[in-house]
Amino acid sequence: MEPADEALCERVARRDEAAFELLVSRYQERAYRLAWSILRNAEDARDVSQEAFIRLYETAGTFRGRSKFSTWFYRILVNLCLDHKRKHKWWKLWVRDDDEDRAETILDRQPAPVNDPVDKLSREATLKALGSAIDRLAPRQRAAVLLRVQEDMATYDIARVLKCSEATVRVHLHRALATLKKTVEKR
Amino acid sequence: MARHPDNDLIPYLRGELPPAERERVARHLEECPDCKQDAEVLRDLLGNLAHAMGQPPGVSWGRYRAELSEKLDARRRQIGWRRRPMPLALSASLAGVLLLVAVWGGREISKRGDPIGPDEVVIGQEFGLLQDLHTVERLDLLEDLEVLRNLDGLASEHQS
Repeated sequence: MEPADEALCERVARRDEAAFELLVSRYQERAYRLAWSILRNAEDARDVSQEAFIRLYETAGTFRGRSKFSTWFYRILVNLCLDHKRKHKWWKLWVRDDDEDRAETILDRQPAPVNDPVDKLSREATLKALGSAIDRLAPRQRAAVLLRVQEDMATYDIARVLKCSEATVRVHLHRALATLKKTVEKR
Repeated sequence: MARHPDNDLIPYLRGELPPAERERVARHLEECPDCKQDAEVLRDLLGNLAHAMGQPPGVSWGRYRAELSEKLDARRRQIGWRRRPMPLALSASLAGVLLLVAVWGGREISKRGDPIGPDEVVIGQEFGLLQDLHTVERLDLLEDLEVLRNLDGLASEHQS
């Protein structure tokens, strides 16, 4: 039987390298994908997700098991992403558009198979607009949406990751989806 | 009609609401066509969002873990350096400097002597000690037995 994440984290606190390797291999893809969804830059996503694993290694002893390991780890990761965005906000506005990865991936998205080419184009255009609208959301709104949609997290867990109340998460989600809904309706 | 359950629609669609709240939202949706339409749009939107977010560029996971391992080692070295005791030569030099400062500082302080406080002046005037301050300053001479024996002679020499 595979050891639970929480048990592995306890072993990491005792500096068990094998347990750390296992946790990294379990979470590396999710951590990188979530970081990329928030930061929209592959290099930054790689750096920040790796930093989250280093923090996990350093602070595993502080995990008390009051929440799921995934919630605790995502809190570290999302905080690092939001800090990174805050620090690089003005720099990126000045230097370049932080949307550089999007251009390559927008056509790689996987719309549901549709036979009518006009419908397909329309759907792709809608998804593209939706993707851009997600990028323009406020960072915490975007994080809430990503945790809900990508990680399928419950409101309670999102609240623990973002360190706010469930009511606040509901407001974040409602506002974010209201904005996205407008984007779709405009098309 | 009760207030529109805007913020509750997403938790409702995900089946997260407790039974009483769920019942309230369901009842509202039956009565309010606008909210019902909103809920349907939100359901479709949530379904599309996963596709809209797309996938990040691919990563070589072996390289990713190798980089992580290097960064972790670098962090450990950094922490180790901070915690490591100072090299012997540096410790000895620092101890020497501290000793010099202590000795030199001590000599400076002893040269200055203790300042005479106002209380001491009053007591001194009462006993007439300050009138013969030069004698008082040399009281350590009294520790010398020879000086004690010739104390009268010294006093007459001083007067002449």
